[in-house]
Amino acid sequence: MDRRTFLKSAGTAALVASTGGLSAPALSQGANAKVLRFVPQANLANFDPIWGTQYVVRNAAALVWDTPYGVDENLVPQRQMVESEEVSADGLTWTFKLRPGLKFHDGEPVLAKDVVQSLKRWAARDPMGIMIVAQQQELTAVDDRTWKWVLKKPFPKMILALAKNNSPCSFIMPERIAQTDPFKQITEYIGSGPMKFNKGEWVPGAKAVFEKFDAYVPRAEKASWLAGGKNMLVNRIEWVIMPDPATAAAALQNGEVDWWENPISDLVPVLRRNSNINVDISDPLGNIGAFRMNHLFAPFDNPKIRRAVLMAMNQEDYMRAIVGDDNKLWKPLPGFFTPDTPLYTEAGGDILKRKNIAEARKMIQEAGYKGEPVVCLVAQDQPNTKAMGDVTVDLLKKIGLNVDFVATDWGTVGARRAQKTPPGQGGWNMFHTWHAGADCLNPSSYTAIRANGDKAWFGWPTSKPVEDAIVEWFDAKDLPAEKTAMAKLNTAALEDVVYAPTGFFLGYQAWRKNVTGVTKGPLPFFWNVGKA
Amino acid sequence: MFGFIFRRILMTIPVMGFVALFVFSLLYIAPGDPAAVIAGDQATPEDVAKIRAGLGLDRPFLVRFAEWFFRVMQGDLGTSIFTGLPVSQMIAQRIEPTLSLMVVTLFIAIFVAIPMGVVAAWKCDTWIDRVVMSFAVLGFSVPVFVIGYLLAYAFALQLDWLPVQGYRPIKNGVWPWFENLILPAVTLGFVYIALIARITRASMLEVLQQDYIRTARAKGVSQKSILFLHALKNAAIPIVTVIGIGVALLIGGAVVTESVFAIPGLGRLTVDAILRRDYPIIQGVVLMFSFVYVLINLLVDVLYTLLDPRIRY
Repeated sequence: MDRRTFLKSAGTAALVASTGGLSAPALSQGANAKVLRFVPQANLANFDPIWGTQYVVRNAAALVWDTPYGVDENLVPQRQMVESEEVSADGLTWTFKLRPGLKFHDGEPVLAKDVVQSLKRWAARDPMGIMIVAQQQELTAVDDRTWKWVLKKPFPKMILALAKNNSPCSFIMPERIAQTDPFKQITEYIGSGPMKFNKGEWVPGAKAVFEKFDAYVPRAEKASWLAGGKNMLVNRIEWVIMPDPATAAAALQNGEVDWWENPISDLVPVLRRNSNINVDISDPLGNIGAFRMNHLFAPFDNPKIRRAVLMAMNQEDYMRAIVGDDNKLWKPLPGFFTPDTPLYTEAGGDILKRKNIAEARKMIQEAGYKGEPVVCLVAQDQPNTKAMGDVTVDLLKKIGLNVDFVATDWGTVGARRAQKTPPGQGGWNMFHTWHAGADCLNPSSYTAIRANGDKAWFGWPTSKPVEDAIVEWFDAKDLPAEKTAMAKLNTAALEDVVYAPTGFFLGYQAWRKNVTGVTKGPLPFFWNVGKA
Repeated sequence: MFGFIFRRILMTIPVMGFVALFVFSLLYIAPGDPAAVIAGDQATPEDVAKIRAGLGLDRPFLVRFAEWFFRVMQGDLGTSIFTGLPVSQMIAQRIEPTLSLMVVTLFIAIFVAIPMGVVAAWKCDTWIDRVVMSFAVLGFSVPVFVIGYLLAYAFALQLDWLPVQGYRPIKNGVWPWFENLILPAVTLGFVYIALIARITRASMLEVLQQDYIRTARAKGVSQKSILFLHALKNAAIPIVTVIGIGVALLIGGAVVTESVFAIPGLGRLTVDAILRRDYPIIQGVVLMFSFVYVLINLLVDVLYTLLDPRIRY
């Protein structure tokens, strides 16, 4: 072949290729309708819902692993893998029976021994699980479908513990996988949920793929959040990770993705203008903004100074900084619990309604503030923490505190907030965060409300009234008793300022109009979601 | 020549060793804790400490460095803290998109920038020259992400000619592959075109003043031949140098471009790893980029000898 012939051949080949001659066949419309492309809130960087408890892992795990019970949209636990349960008259022995026909993705049946081992692993990491284990006599499989949990003391919230959607959930895995140390990561992703995880197509940071599990037997009841029949109407769900919100918005408008979990409020007007897109609230349980003060060191080791900060706060400033002008997205929160839920209380919340800078300034002087710098950690890579941080710094200056503003990233805040050293030696005085409303319904999974000193969440508050109220709630046998305990808890937590709630805010989700069945909830529920 | 190439390759070993030590030390003293990220926001300090111990992050610096270094010497870059996947596998998953983006960008940049620079030098101090130089200033001044958003808005959202985001492997067809790369490559190439065009113009202006060019003109050689055969070859050394240096620019730009166009490449892998403090991935990617950069410099040195026979090593 001479040079000219070679060039001609190469040119022809390039032309054929460029006109699509070498392209893979396009998906037919029917096949495309069976693939749902979803943009999640964050990257699925690992896939062990017990080892890593980030919400994004929990959300993906709910597709792959099933739970013994699931909460419905009324926040009531319902049977899921369980067919029946029985509790002895003294409340000490719980006996559970699995429903028949449950299978893992590798074809093996789900047995009671798998459940027992999975619950052991879960209970080592979950706050409620740890409480159950502390009262446990034995947890054993009785036969292939029955297991029993024998306790030394009644635990009335047992079914709630096995149903709750807070991370970590009680996901059931095969026994051999569940034997993995709870502080080490699993490497096999086999569950008994409605979708299988395609590990081969997983590109962490870019894509995660789930395929329909044909042997899944949904419950007969209507689906409601994590309860009821999890019928899959699509064959394949692709999670497309998009770090840039503007790109996600453009991809949704262009029909390159079908559903976006958390559009930022700045882009919502653009999405609303597109006639092919629906926009609605994503999670009615929303989020609670927060900043935590370090109770170990001055000036916030002084409860008077902590209370002065609460008294000066204007939650509207915080919420406007997070959600902008959209009044549907926020409300003031004179307390610590999720509004519009059965146990919500505002008891003791007056301090958050005063917004009195002058009085707070006076209180701080009277409390003997000596001008110690307040090391305020503000993660700049998280829009919510950055917005709250800017408001807080302004507030602290107004009430006469000497602020050392540390602009950093969330990874650094995550590490530094664990330091118990003095603020000048690598420690801190305050940092900002937020809690999912689903975690703040009651004390069961509300780590941030605990005030048990060294064992409490970062800031390490100590308050006997708070801890007593939590115990009272766990022991409560009916709703009125729970409400009484919650009122005491809210009052005590505000009195001792376990942390500072900055308000309640909601977020949006957006999806294309050819997608049906999208619901509001604390996590994206993919069952009964179809695509035309 | 072969002796030179062999010596240069040998020299990469201490360079890579130094890079390894530097990167490892930097990450060790950098604040942040992957265990805290893994454990999630509701985790207690005890949970975080146990995960840290499980990952071996509580061991002394020298133990961890020695272990990692000896593994790297055996070709094992380790395992990602978060995914549990081998770093080499994660890099392999991401190398095609980044390589494709860089190659297409280089082609676009070279084929647009060099003619632009040549024409600007030829038409020096005319409106053509000013247009080219204004474009160059614009290319340097406008941030990559702004160009990316504008192009995506115009060509994807308004005209619907090209996809907004994503990457299709070349095995799925050349056109789907290329279609997804056009906008990112033009975006990334903007600053690179500006750089090469400016250097080409400056270098050509110098060469066009030379006596042999005047002689060629006097002999009646066509303008095209003077510019592209006689002058460009002699102006090529600085251009090749800047193309080589510019690869570092491309690596940096790829980070932003891959994020804007949701391309699952090495740039995004690096940013994600930095934000999560996934040390083995950061170390692996930095080592790889350093190695590539050393090789490119070697390639540039070898190209000098081809362009200018007077250069000998």
